[in-house]
Amino acid sequence: MRFVLAALTYFGYLFIITMYSVKVVKYLRLPMHLRSEVYPVIPGDKLSKEKTYYENLEWWTKLRQQNKLRRLWFLFSDYLLLAEYFRRDRGYWLVVYPWHIGFIFIITFHILSFFGALFEWFGVSVAPNSSSLFGIGLYYVSLATGVISFVSGLFGSIGVLINRLVRSDLRDYASPQTYFNYLFLLMVFLSGLLVWIFADPTFSEYREFWKGLIAFNPINVGTLATVHILLFAFLLIYLPFTRSLHYITRLFGFLLIRWDDEPSLPGSLLERKVEEALKQKLNWQGPHIQSGSTWRDAALEEAPRGRNGV
Amino acid sequence: MSKRIKVSDMGREGDPLVEIRSQDLMPIPGISANALQEPLSKGLTENQKRELECSLDGFVAIGIPRPKSQQEEEALVKKFLEGLKKLFEKENNWTFLQPLVHSMEYCVKCQLCSESCPAYVASGRKEIYRPTFRPELLRRLINKYIKGQGTFLRKVTRSDIELNFTLIARLAELAYRCTLCRRCTQVCPLGVDNALVSREIRKLFSQELGIAPREIHEQGTVQQLKVGSTTGMTPPALHDIVAFVEEEIKEKTGRDIKIPIDKKNADVLLLHNAGEFMSWPENIEAFAILFDAANISWTLSSEVAGYDAVNYGVWYDDVQMARVAVKHAEAAKNLHVKKINVGECGHAHKAFIVVADRVLTGDLNIPRESVFPLLEDLVMSGKIRLDPGRNNFPVTLHDPCNIVRLMGIAEPQRRILRKICPQFMEMEPHGVDNYCCGGGSGFAIMNSRNFKDWKVHVSGRMKLKQILEAFKDVLDPTIKKYVCAPCSNCKGQIRDLIDVYHLGQDHNIRYGGLVELVVNAMADIEKPFIEWESF
Repeated sequence: MRFVLAALTYFGYLFIITMYSVKVVKYLRLPMHLRSEVYPVIPGDKLSKEKTYYENLEWWTKLRQQNKLRRLWFLFSDYLLLAEYFRRDRGYWLVVYPWHIGFIFIITFHILSFFGALFEWFGVSVAPNSSSLFGIGLYYVSLATGVISFVSGLFGSIGVLINRLVRSDLRDYASPQTYFNYLFLLMVFLSGLLVWIFADPTFSEYREFWKGLIAFNPINVGTLATVHILLFAFLLIYLPFTRSLHYITRLFGFLLIRWDDEPSLPGSLLERKVEEALKQKLNWQGPHIQSGSTWRDAALEEAPRGRNGV
Repeated sequence: MSKRIKVSDMGREGDPLVEIRSQDLMPIPGISANALQEPLSKGLTENQKRELECSLDGFVAIGIPRPKSQQEEEALVKKFLEGLKKLFEKENNWTFLQPLVHSMEYCVKCQLCSESCPAYVASGRKEIYRPTFRPELLRRLINKYIKGQGTFLRKVTRSDIELNFTLIARLAELAYRCTLCRRCTQVCPLGVDNALVSREIRKLFSQELGIAPREIHEQGTVQQLKVGSTTGMTPPALHDIVAFVEEEIKEKTGRDIKIPIDKKNADVLLLHNAGEFMSWPENIEAFAILFDAANISWTLSSEVAGYDAVNYGVWYDDVQMARVAVKHAEAAKNLHVKKINVGECGHAHKAFIVVADRVLTGDLNIPRESVFPLLEDLVMSGKIRLDPGRNNFPVTLHDPCNIVRLMGIAEPQRRILRKICPQFMEMEPHGVDNYCCGGGSGFAIMNSRNFKDWKVHVSGRMKLKQILEAFKDVLDPTIKKYVCAPCSNCKGQIRDLIDVYHLGQDHNIRYGGLVELVVNAMADIEKPFIEWESF
């Protein structure tokens, strides 16, 4: 069994990293698009001095202010707030928030477990009585992260499941896959919680398992831990087939689309990219479109020909 | 009718999926629902009902004729699927592929956006108008017909949906029940843009099937590109109207102002929505008076499309959008102007300044800006002597979505109003959080068949409520009130709201643009510029 556990865990991590990377690259390689911004740039941010440059007279002659760090801070901090849910649907926030916290913390817990194992492998004890302050800290942080994740995630999973079943506006748009996702995560969180309560209250067994993975010398763990490790590995393999990448694409959706805000100034690199895009051929069949022409020619079709530009 | 409508019902043939009844509509204090004639979707002839697809909600925005044979239906389905495929191809849809993919792939259907949609809320929360409804239908169609999911996967993703004429026609109509105001987009924590999906559905129908509302396509972009304006106004007609406007200015102010047309090397090419020439010439007059007083070097263009800022393409068709934008830029280039100022027209702001930014290159990439910062500069600089006392009546500001939420220009117009209107009062919410007038994305000009009833009673209902609430302490009809709507299409929609709900007679509520208020406050013009009797 220990080899199955190890193989699945290795594969799970490899698979999710590969699949997520492929998806991210695919997303980022989508072509430059026409602008589609929505203001405000940072909702409710009174500290931000940002305003649209279009409010300035002859905006192209003035310096454009873009506080990219504040934008990133807003986006990352909202992972831990889910502020729009809090503002607009408090009841749903009460379940979706712990659910997301459970998810974020379970990832963090596994990363911490890996590092805990790594430290132990190098001889630094990760325990309350460790001679290293770092070992003590890592022990308590891992413990807290794991417990918060399992408790919060379990509560959230049950909550989102009930919400989807009870609220018609959510139920009508859910599919069997939606419920499967909720139940799957519920099982992962529940199994983790059971491990903590009944088998491994300090998560030392789990660190041992990770030590075995690092050393390429897998070990056997108890039944409950086995179930949890199996479920988590399957989760890693399954996640790329869900909408879970929204944790990452959300950043792109804001930074590259909603807050794009980049004008194509004469002579700029962006303007050259536009020129390239317009050379592509379109194959739309509408009666007003000359299928097979380039975008540039299609745009000029009704305009006087033989002139520069577009 | 009380049955809850689901996405899977869209292909079900028969009666309209929903009926809009007055008692279901969002209540508005002071407006009696009983005053409305039932059914709201009246007005279709028996012939129209028989020949056109009207089984979405009983209203008709496009009027797609029913196929006459099985082969005709199959051909339509085939063409629809070809178009759907093209929406996700890089060459065919580089223009909006990334935002579209993002919205289709990463919406978690949490419905957080629903309550932000004025049409959905005002309709009494009819399911078909929910912002996530259209994308979900499209998603299921893609799963089955584009991704080719097998039986098991289709069950798992709930994508076992049958594509037929009824579904396609209802989807086309449904794309025209969203004003593209993008309030739903603004609140989405994941950056999903369900309004864009509506716009892309419109694009599929136009660019592949040649299906679009007549007012937007044939009478809209096609006519504009051919004769010069969506109003049908030709260059010679422009000259006549401008002569009339000059006479009006003389009559109102005693000033002899020659409105420059086709003046080469001017600093500013002013692009008006041609609706102003036809329906609100006082807006044209006010700009001429103000620019003349401020000694601005400016001109109008009489080149085809150069005197009509509208670009309906931005609502439904990328190719038409690009063509109109090119025409506008050509007009400016031929006059060698330094910059282009877009007048009081919301969608023209967004289309020409922002969206066409990635269409116009080289010598067509001429600086383009909103007229609001220029107006603010004139008002604040002291170049014009202004007496706010002349605007001493309640004024509220309607924010055109394209200018505030989609461009971020929210303050210049407010700073002007705070300076020249002592009784300026805000609607709630306002600025980037505003509500659409209900005439957005072409609805303001779509009046055929029974569609006007939908836009006045459903999509415009939230704005009606906002106007009445803004003026709630001054509703007394002896007090004249002014809704400042600095956008031609918004003005058209607000005119219809005022007319249908008798806001003029009952509450003395009038409407107009921003520059009219500025000129009304000009101290060295003897008579008030705003003529209340003429409303």
